[in-house]
Amino acid sequence: MPRPPLLLSRRALLRGAAAAGLAAMLPRRARALPAASLLAVGQIQHRGNWNPRPSAIRRLGWELARRTSIEPAPDAVPVRLDRPGLHRHPMLYLAGAGPFPPFSEAERAALRRHLQYGGFLLVDAADGSDGGGFDAAARRELAAVLPAAPLQPVPREHVLNKTFYLLDRQGGRVLVKPWVEAQALDGRLAVVYSQNDLGGAWARSELGEWEYPCTPGGEAQRETAFRVGVNVAMYALCTDYKDDAVHLPFILRRRS
Amino acid sequence: MAFPVEPGGPTRAAAAGAFLAEHRAELARLQDRADVEWYAFGGDVAPADPAAAAKGLPPTGGRTDLLGALEAAAAGGGATRKVAGALILSDGADNAALQGGLDGAARAKLRALGFPVNTVAVGRGAPRDLAVERVAADDFAFVRNTVTVEVTLRARGFGDQDVPLVLRREGSVVAETTVKLERGKDRYTVPLRFAPDQTGTFVFTVAAPVFPGEAIVENNQRSFVLRVIRDRVRVLLVAGRPSWDVRFLRGLLKQDPNVDLVSFFILRSNTDQPGPQEELSLIPFPVAEIFGDQLKTFDAVLFVNFAYGPYRGLEIDRFLPNLRDYVLDGGALAMVGGEQSFGDGRYGETPLAEVLPVAPLDGTAEAEAEVRPRLTAEGRRHPVTALAPGDGPNAAVWAALPPITAVNLTRALAPGAGASVLLEAPGVEVEGRPAPVVAVREVGHGRTLAVATDATWRWGFVAAESGQGSRAYLRFWNGALRWLVRDPSLAPLQVEPDAPAVEPGAPVGLTVSTRGADWGPAAGKKVSAELRSDDGRPVARGEAVAGADGTARLELVPPGPGAYKIVAHAEGEAEPATAAVAVRGAGPEDADVAPRPELMSAIAEATGGGSSALPGGELPDLALHEAEVVEIGRRKAVPIWDRWWTLAALAGTLAAEWVLRRRWGYW
Repeated sequence: MPRPPLLLSRRALLRGAAAAGLAAMLPRRARALPAASLLAVGQIQHRGNWNPRPSAIRRLGWELARRTSIEPAPDAVPVRLDRPGLHRHPMLYLAGAGPFPPFSEAERAALRRHLQYGGFLLVDAADGSDGGGFDAAARRELAAVLPAAPLQPVPREHVLNKTFYLLDRQGGRVLVKPWVEAQALDGRLAVVYSQNDLGGAWARSELGEWEYPCTPGGEAQRETAFRVGVNVAMYALCTDYKDDAVHLPFILRRRS
Repeated sequence: MAFPVEPGGPTRAAAAGAFLAEHRAELARLQDRADVEWYAFGGDVAPADPAAAAKGLPPTGGRTDLLGALEAAAAGGGATRKVAGALILSDGADNAALQGGLDGAARAKLRALGFPVNTVAVGRGAPRDLAVERVAADDFAFVRNTVTVEVTLRARGFGDQDVPLVLRREGSVVAETTVKLERGKDRYTVPLRFAPDQTGTFVFTVAAPVFPGEAIVENNQRSFVLRVIRDRVRVLLVAGRPSWDVRFLRGLLKQDPNVDLVSFFILRSNTDQPGPQEELSLIPFPVAEIFGDQLKTFDAVLFVNFAYGPYRGLEIDRFLPNLRDYVLDGGALAMVGGEQSFGDGRYGETPLAEVLPVAPLDGTAEAEAEVRPRLTAEGRRHPVTALAPGDGPNAAVWAALPPITAVNLTRALAPGAGASVLLEAPGVEVEGRPAPVVAVREVGHGRTLAVATDATWRWGFVAAESGQGSRAYLRFWNGALRWLVRDPSLAPLQVEPDAPAVEPGAPVGLTVSTRGADWGPAAGKKVSAELRSDDGRPVARGEAVAGADGTARLELVPPGPGAYKIVAHAEGEAEPATAAVAVRGAGPEDADVAPRPELMSAIAEATGGGSSALPGGELPDLALHEAEVVEIGRRKAVPIWDRWWTLAALAGTLAAEWVLRRRWGYW
């Protein structure tokens, strides 16, 4: 992930401090886990503005560690669809601001295979576009990758909305759509697409400031964005686990 | 005819013989009026000698077919013979066309005979007898699911009393009930319910006690063969946290239609701060239910990166002895690696260490290393690590798999513990030897599996990137699960009868197949098989040597009708293979022994014949057709009774020899 060289040392220093704080707050692990055992999100490098919110996945990971038993890697790992190693990251993240050039057929085939063998892709429109910009490019690629599985709004009752938090709304930096859309393969959501710039709500500077305000809902909308992120990560790792019959009576009681 | 004419009286055959002897002279005089032909009948009709019949015909027929006998007797002797009438001597215990009584069709057939049928009914009043008349059960049942066996009990000559009815599986009682007998009612249908707890093919027996003075003792019980199969393998999956390893494993199990999966993932621990509980979809982990009462309902328990320690308040360690006992009693446990498993989860000092296939090294951490695991000598021939048939192809599949990324440090158990390391990690050493990656163990009556890494998912998903697909991963876990739950198709010794049921007198053909320690056909191995009766007694035995394909053929002759357990042994094989076979009873299903004088008189009435009944009755006034006057050119009188006319006298062998009617071999 390219960074301005000027900030590198200071960022590294601050990151070190933040990590220490995390460790102090969560003294539950005596030693580091093997890197391959952590949830490392692969962030797809496309030929457009592929990383508009560089701190977003890092911050989501921080929240996953704080709130759940998921063990996230410190940051996203940039991946190229046409390079080997894509399958080391069953969870992929495709973000962008503005349109991006079409994937090659080989890239599309690689992404298709990844998803068909059980992979998961979160798509996030940082530009809050609807019908143009990133939205148009993303829809073009998703339709080409999984032509038999069109994007469809995820209904409120879907297990995605109860994998960890009981969700009844959407969050993000903006609220372009009050729902997320998804492409299903074999009864499982393989692709989840938010047009609400989840990454913009998650992004936090290393000085501890939120990088963008959330509109129109403010901090509640940001909290919801994190909850959506937690549920999406849980869904990637647990799929429909929360639909198992044993959970039902408990969940119904809380929803009523 | 072997039954008494009335309770406590002489047998019906003897009574019929005495009657014929008494009326022989009268019957002989009929010779003046017509030819008298003598037949004996049961299921078949055969000419009989009247002198012998008067001494009493042996009651040996397996069936009583009144209408068939009449039709056969009428048809005998060619078209020129005309039948003036028939006299039939029988107990009327028809178990063919007239079993249900004289209906319209039967009446029409009797009339179509075209001659009067005179009847002498032998026997009145049913003998005192209790019989398990019918057992309705399916051919197979699902283990742990309630099976209903519907039993029809017939009681004759009993007053108001209670009769206990038991259902036994090879000697042990699995269900019982009490039937309240009422005067005047002779058939009772009662359900017997039970839930089989073992898979396999078993002989079940429904039995009622034998009361003094019963006509037939043998029909107080009836056996049948029931194949108890697994409906679905019930698996408990417990994961310490969400991970790719458990994500892909759960996906595989969830997709398998033969697996009934109950999973629990720890989604947050005590230190996590997700916010208000009511906004979460989380449920408390029902530790006491799952590891207490419910545990034995699972065929296999999988711990995936699950530590018992960190959950204060849940006190999971209290249940570890229970889990160990579950394994020793025949359960299956797999421990899959991760930073909360094996020594990392401090299982080394717990009761689970007594059953695990490796010794966890407490206080160690996973070794983080890219390792290509290597098959051990045992691993090359074990079904868990058989990803492709044949040594070479299997090794090639393993060599092509993506490396694993972490190994929990454990130590192989000493020889004699029943454990084998199948896959090891070269380069990751524990006490100078490669650390085990996959190990299995037979312990007590159960089985355990250790997978000391959290990276088996890479054999599927990562392998798929290079075009290998995820077959190796699916094969590995399917094989592991089948081995854990003792899938019968993986047993090294198998026995199967050629058919589930054989005819009486026919041998039971068996195929015994054996596999050696390398899971290949065990050519030249000595095998034996025996048939065991309901009480566990061997009744037939045979030996053979397995051929090149590892199978041997045996033929055993069962002593008589019934259901038999088949038990096969092979040299060097501790576990016998079992199956079951039924030998059908010779007689008809219904062994109703009651005489039916009313049927006999109805037959007579329908055809215009006379009737009487024994004991006490006389020869009825025989109705016979009058001879017709035949004119040949000119008026000429011909004798009234011409020699062309025939009286068919039929003495029934009647109610069959009871031995042949025993109520055995219900299938």
